[in-house]
Amino acid sequence: MFDAAFLVRRQAPGLLLSGACYAGGLFVGLAVSAFLLVQAGVPAGALVDEFLVATFLTSDGLSQTLTAALPLVLVGLASAVAMRVRFWNIGIEGQLWLGAVAATWVALGGIGPEPLRLPLMLVLGAVVGAAWIALPLWLKLKWGVNEVISTLLLGSIAFLLVQHLLFGVWRDPATNFPVTAAFPEASRFAATGWGQLHYGFLLVGAVTAALWYLLDYTRVGFYADAVGHNIKTARAAGLPVGATITGLVLLSGALSGLAGVTIIAGTEHRLSQVVGNGYLFSAIVVAYLARAKPVWVLVVALALGAVFTAGNVLKVFYSISEGMIVLVQGTVLISILMAQFFSTYALSRPS
Amino acid sequence: MIDTLHQSGGRGTLFPGTPPALDLRGIDKAFDGKPALVDASFSLEWGEVHAIVGENGAGKSTLMNVAAGVYAADGGEQTIDGKARSPRSPMEATAAGLGMVHQHFRLVQSFTVSENILLSLGRDSRIRTPAQAAAAIAAKAAEVGLPVDPARVVADLSTAERQRVEIVRVLLLGARILILDEPTAVLSEEEAKMLLSFVRRLARQGHAVVLITHKFREVAGFCDRITIMRHGKTVMAGAPVADIDEGEVARLMVGEALAVSERPLSSPGAVNLSVSGLTQKPDRFGQGLNALNFELHAGEVLGIAGVGGNGQEELVACLTGLSRQDQGSIRLGGRDLSRASPYDRRKAGLRIIPSDRFETGLVRELSIAENLALTQVAKGNFGGTFFLNRKGMRHAATAAIQSFDIRGASPERAAALLSGGNAQKVLLARELDAGMKVLVAHSPSRGLDMKATLFVRNAIKQAVEGGAACLLISEDLNEVLSLSHRVAVMNRGSIAGCRAIGDVTPEWIGALLAGHV
Ligand SMILES: Nc1ncnc2c1ncn2[C@@H]1O[C@H](COP(=O)(O)OP(=O)(O)O)[C@@H](O)[C@H]1O
Ligand SMILES: [Mg+2]
Repeated sequence: MFDAAFLVRRQAPGLLLSGACYAGGLFVGLAVSAFLLVQAGVPAGALVDEFLVATFLTSDGLSQTLTAALPLVLVGLASAVAMRVRFWNIGIEGQLWLGAVAATWVALGGIGPEPLRLPLMLVLGAVVGAAWIALPLWLKLKWGVNEVISTLLLGSIAFLLVQHLLFGVWRDPATNFPVTAAFPEASRFAATGWGQLHYGFLLVGAVTAALWYLLDYTRVGFYADAVGHNIKTARAAGLPVGATITGLVLLSGALSGLAGVTIIAGTEHRLSQVVGNGYLFSAIVVAYLARAKPVWVLVVALALGAVFTAGNVLKVFYSISEGMIVLVQGTVLISILMAQFFSTYALSRPS
Repeated sequence: MIDTLHQSGGRGTLFPGTPPALDLRGIDKAFDGKPALVDASFSLEWGEVHAIVGENGAGKSTLMNVAAGVYAADGGEQTIDGKARSPRSPMEATAAGLGMVHQHFRLVQSFTVSENILLSLGRDSRIRTPAQAAAAIAAKAAEVGLPVDPARVVADLSTAERQRVEIVRVLLLGARILILDEPTAVLSEEEAKMLLSFVRRLARQGHAVVLITHKFREVAGFCDRITIMRHGKTVMAGAPVADIDEGEVARLMVGEALAVSERPLSSPGAVNLSVSGLTQKPDRFGQGLNALNFELHAGEVLGIAGVGGNGQEELVACLTGLSRQDQGSIRLGGRDLSRASPYDRRKAGLRIIPSDRFETGLVRELSIAENLALTQVAKGNFGGTFFLNRKGMRHAATAAIQSFDIRGASPERAAALLSGGNAQKVLLARELDAGMKVLVAHSPSRGLDMKATLFVRNAIKQAVEGGAACLLISEDLNEVLSLSHRVAVMNRGSIAGCRAIGDVTPEWIGALLAGHV
C-alpha cells in the first residue's frame, strides 16, 4: 500500500496542528500504557485512581509526586541544556553518581563547619559532575570524538567507582551491607513536614527559574539556538561557539551532579547502589518531551514524578515489576515522538 | 549568432546511414518560470565521443537530464536510436539503453559496491543476490577494462573509484549511450587521462558517449565532435573537433556580446584588502589554494570569474575565518587578520555573503529578527550580559524588512520560509551595515529571479559607491562583467590573470577559464 509514498516536510506546522498531534500522541501513549497495565493484572478501575487521584488529588500523593519530581527536574534540565547545543549527554547517570560520591565524602567525613556542610555538598557535587563531563567534551571539541559513546562509557566507570567504594571503605559498619552509614543531620535537606518533601524543592525551583531566565532572556539561549541549529553559520557570524558549547555542557554535568546530591541529601540520606538508577532514561524522556525548554521540563518532570509515585503503589499492591514503569515511560515517549514526526512531515502519495 | 551554428558533418560517424543514438530537437525547459533551456538541440552518433561545453548555468546538465528522464521537457522532440522516446524516469531511459553518471554521485555510502548496484537493478533483473551482483560486476569491469572491486564499501572509495562504480553500474544496466556530466572536474590529471582513454575505447566498441567538460584540451584530445551551449541555447551543434580552434570555442562559450564597457573608478581608493601567498593543501575532495594573491581597493569591485571547484569555496572559507590557510596573509586596512577569529574580522569591517545562504549565512530555524541580529548580539547591540533585548531585535527587523523590501516576512517568521530572493535580502540587510569596509560576495545572485538579481547587484553597487570594497566571486560571467572594475580569473586555486574591465576580451577570459594561460 505504501509502494510509492513520500514524506513531505510541512512548511510551517501551525500551533493547532502541533498541539493536536501532541495531544493525540499523548492519548495514544496513555491508552497503550493502560492496556499494558491491565494486561499485567491491574484492574482497569484502579488506573484512574492510582494515576490521577493518588498522585495529584490527595495531599499525601501530591507530596510524593513533588518529591519524586525534584531529581527528575534536575536531570531533565541537565539533558535539556546540552541538547540545546546538540550535545547528547548520555552520561547523566555517571555525573549523578559522582556528584553523589563527592557529597557523600563531605557528609561522612564531616568536612567543613556544620552550617556550611550542605552547601559544600551541593557545590562540590556540581563541580565534580561538571568535571566528569569535561573529558568527553574536550575529546569532542578537540578530536571530534562522538560524545554518545564517551559519556555513556564514563557513566559505567562512575558506577564501578561507586561499587568499589560501597563494597570497600564506605560499607556500612553496622549492617555490613554495601550502603554507607546514614548521613548526620547537618548533611540532609530539612524536612518540610509535608509527607516526604524536603527543602531541596527551593533549590530546584531556584535552579529552574535561573535556567529559564538564562535561556530565554539572555544571549546564552540565543547563542545556544544558533549553535545548535547551524554551527557553521554561528561560527561565520562571529558567535562564541566554543564558549557556548563548553558552558552549557559543563552546566549539564553540574546539574546532573546536583541531582545526585539532591537524592541522597533529600530522601535517601545515604549512598547505595540503587539511588541513581534509571535517571538517564528519564532525563532524556523529560528533555525530549519538554523540547529542551526549562519551564516545560518542570511540567513534564511533575507528570513523570506522578508515574513513579503511581508505579510504587502498583508495585506494592499489584506486584507490577519496575520494568513495567519504564515501559510506560517509553510507550508515552515513543507515541509522542511519532506524533511530533507527523506534525513535521505529511505523507503524500503521487496520483 | 546564427552564422556560427554549424551543422554536423559526416565525420565522427562510424556507422553511416544508421539513425543517431540520441537526438534532441527544440527542447524547452523552465524551472519556476525561469527558462533553463530555450530551443536547445543535440545530436549524438553511435561510435563517437561528443563534448558539450559551456559556462556554468548554460544548461548542459539540464539538457542531459532531460535526455536521461530526470526532467521532463516542456517542449521539443526526442529520439533514442531513431525511435521517438521521451523517457519519463531514469528507469525508462535505462530501459532504452541510455545511462547517465551525474556530477554528484548517487551511491549509498555505507553499502558495498555490489549492494549499491543490486539496489539499482530493480525487480526484473535476474541478478538477485550480492554474490551474483559481485560476479556480474567483476565480469563487466573486466570486459570494459575498468578496475572495480565489488566487495568494498563505498565510503572507503576515492572519488575516482566511486566514479568507476557509477560507470560500471550504468553499463551493467545495459546502457549503450553513456552520458558523463563533468566527470573530470573531480579527478586528478592522471585519473582524468585514464577515464578519457577508457571513454574512447568504449566509443570505438560502438557505444555513444557524451562528455560534459570545461577543458578544451580534453575536447581536442579525446572527442570527435563538440556542441557549445550558452544561456540554454545550442550555439554550435556538433562541429567536428578538428575544424575548430580554442579561440572560437572560448568566444562562443562566453558570447561576443559581452556587455563589457569602460567602468572607470570614480576615485581609486586605498588598498582595503590585501591577500598574498594564500596557500592551503587540498582536502580529500576539494581543490586547495595555491599562492593566491590580490589587492582590493576602496570603491572598487574586483570580480573573480572561474569554473566552480577551482578553489572559490576554499578562498571564501579562508577569508571568513572558517578555515585556516597553511601559508599566506590576509590584511584588511593595514591590520593583519591572517589568524584572526571571524568575530575580529567582522569587527575590522569584513562582511560575507556566502554562496550557500543556509549553510554559512542564515539559520533556517531561527526567526528573521534573530537572523538579522546574529552578528550584533555579541557586540552588545541588543542588551548587555544579563538581558537580551528581543523587543529591540523585533523593531530593528521591522525596519530592515521595510527598507530592504523583504516580502513575505515578519520578524517572528522562520527564515526557512522565505523564498531565495528574500532570504538573500535578509542576508544583505545584515551584512551591508555601517561598519562594512570589505564585502566578499560569492555568487550573490545564484538561483534568484531577475528582479531579485537586480536588487542584489544594485545593493552591491551602492555599497561600493559608498566607499566600501567588494570582492565578487562568481561562476556567472555575466554577473562578474556587469559589476566589476577589474576582472580576475581563478584556476586551480590561484589567480590565473587579472585585467581592468576595459581590456577584457572573450578570448582572454575563455582561455583562462579553460585553464590555458
Ligand atoms: N532543479 C533545478 N531547479 C531550478 N533551477 C535549476 C535546476 N536545475 C538547473 N537549474 C537552472 O537552470 C540553469 C541551467 O543549469 P545547468 O543545466 O545545471 O547548467 P550547467 O550544467 O550548464 O552548468 C541554471 O540557471 C540553473 O540555475
Ligand atoms: Mg552542470
